[in-house]
Amino acid sequence: MEGRLANMWRLTVNESKFVETALQSELRIDGRGLYDYRKLTIKFGKEYGSSEVQLGQTHVMGFVTAQLVQPYKDRPNEGSLSIFTEFSPMADPSFEPGRPGESAVELGRIIDRGLRESRAVDTESLCVLAGKMVWSVRIDLHILDNGGNLVDAANIAALAALMTFRRPDCTVGGENGQEVTIHSLEEREPLPLIIHHLPIAFTFGFFNKGNIVVIDPTYVEEAVMCGRMTVTVNANGDICAIQKPGEEGVNHSVILHCLRLASSRAAATTKIIREEVEAYNREKSLQKVKRHPTLAKSEVSGPVVTVKEGHKKFSDQDKDTEMSVEHVERLKLSSDELRSSKEQEAAKFKGSPSNWDPYTEAMDVDSLKVSLASRGDSVTKSPSKKKKMNSSEDDTVEEVMEDLGDKDTTVEVITKHNDGEKTLKDAVKPK
Amino acid sequence: MDAKVSVSPTSFIDQIVVPGDVVLDLSNMTNQTIKLGSGLRQDNEAITAMRAGKLSYSKPNKYWVESSHKRYVPRPEDHVLGIVVDSKADNFWIDIKGPQIALLPVLAFEGGTRRNIPKFEVGTLVYVRVVKTNIGMNPDVSCTDASGKAAEFGRLKDGFMFETSTGLSRMLLSSPTCPVLEALGKKLSFEIAIGLNGRVWVNAAAPRTVIIVSNAIMNSESLSGTQQRIMVEKLLAKISD
Repeated sequence: MEGRLANMWRLTVNESKFVETALQSELRIDGRGLYDYRKLTIKFGKEYGSSEVQLGQTHVMGFVTAQLVQPYKDRPNEGSLSIFTEFSPMADPSFEPGRPGESAVELGRIIDRGLRESRAVDTESLCVLAGKMVWSVRIDLHILDNGGNLVDAANIAALAALMTFRRPDCTVGGENGQEVTIHSLEEREPLPLIIHHLPIAFTFGFFNKGNIVVIDPTYVEEAVMCGRMTVTVNANGDICAIQKPGEEGVNHSVILHCLRLASSRAAATTKIIREEVEAYNREKSLQKVKRHPTLAKSEVSGPVVTVKEGHKKFSDQDKDTEMSVEHVERLKLSSDELRSSKEQEAAKFKGSPSNWDPYTEAMDVDSLKVSLASRGDSVTKSPSKKKKMNSSEDDTVEEVMEDLGDKDTTVEVITKHNDGEKTLKDAVKPK
Repeated sequence: MDAKVSVSPTSFIDQIVVPGDVVLDLSNMTNQTIKLGSGLRQDNEAITAMRAGKLSYSKPNKYWVESSHKRYVPRPEDHVLGIVVDSKADNFWIDIKGPQIALLPVLAFEGGTRRNIPKFEVGTLVYVRVVKTNIGMNPDVSCTDASGKAAEFGRLKDGFMFETSTGLSRMLLSSPTCPVLEALGKKLSFEIAIGLNGRVWVNAAAPRTVIIVSNAIMNSESLSGTQQRIMVEKLLAKISD
């Protein structure tokens, strides 16, 4: 009890009195005018879909991720958008770790309402396979520092993150048109979300029984004010959402005044966000020029996978056609050759390559040389092998596929178990 | 080990030190009597830093680490600004930004008796002096100086209180007068109370002056003396027209 008391932030009588008397002469404690906004800075992370917004002292981080899920029954061809808030106890001693508090839920709801009900993000374009597969976009908002007016800052962070988010491209294919292939970022340019407009939240604080209105209240002002209202508008002047918590009633003329103020400010804030996003995109596209995609690697490993696939598929089937048996025998040989060379290579390394550390375990130079040599060998060998194979292999695989055509059901089962192929499980991030 | 020995004592003064730095070596010092301030400890011959900050030295033999925190660790004889959290029969509970609530005995006022106990509502700002900080006990504070006089301690009425770091409040209290206060004081008249716990109270006749002064002080956190003067001059020029 006492420990809690010591760690709480509290308002003094002096502060609350001063804030009110200063506002009577239209002065705010940080030297702003009543309708001035604090300085807004937007920064972006290295990855797509991460943003960091600073509004005066307030600091919010937004992060957008997406995964493929089954759509809701009532909306089979629409993706979903969900918002999660995380209030770090570092931001404010009153935030408790664990379950989200009242303010965390309210913040999430206001932003959710502004974004979703105004249909700012096009959810229909997130559909991959109607009724089966849609993208579910998740926005995580982390409050890093609470300097007042979390709603506005978090809303801008969410928008900035959504605007810079790119989802991997995917295509629908397969025999029955039900297989979804997700292309990696190197393979195909990832796609941005379609955002129709930017709903921007503006929070107003009411003082002195609603007679004094301020925009963007600070931490101290939030503790003093008697009422609050959040208005979400876009640059066209459309009102997307209004939230009015607190018991103090507000005159409708005051509300209209707030709406006018908000819509006059919306264009400026939209401009700031768009400019920052454009600058970020420009920087990203410049980086892309320098990037060398690892094409060679995927080319080498490509045919091996298909060969394996054909081979495995076949081995599970009854061996009824002599011709394909012949082909597969040949393929089996070549694939075995490749695999054995790979295994040799792998045996020389101890541990998995991801956590391979040359310093923890002393490695003799000779074995390194040998392994390097063998690797170089395999690289030089494989193109010729591939060329040799390519002509025969392509039609064999096709033939095998045709053979399997009448046994669709079994093929589907097999492909699911096939480890070489990319499945949907690969696309879904483990939680 | 060699590196530690080769460190000369003067090299660390006015430098940033981090915990674990051996800042002084007593074995190669001529005058081995030194006074250690906060953030330093002695391990046999070596004086090590325990906090990150600037190592300061004052003649003839005082050393301490000057650092800035948002949290305050109470020390006896510090003057701090506290907020009344609760009032009990014997003590007022005062929040002094420390790890524990401080206790202000109801009789710790000038001429305090059972009859004239002051009434402090929750949220009252008081200027107090830390008396005792025993381990495992709540620190004791008092509204009198060592000789039992009121000496400016007590309740602070009106004005505005804001929180800064302990480093800034120590800078404001330093002598000669801190440049930002000096520059502000030339043009504006205001009242100020600075607590070593990083709380600053400002009062003036007009709310405008209070806002100007408090914002100037908050902005001066990371500025040098001349920068502070320039900042204040710019600010005053802006408000005069």
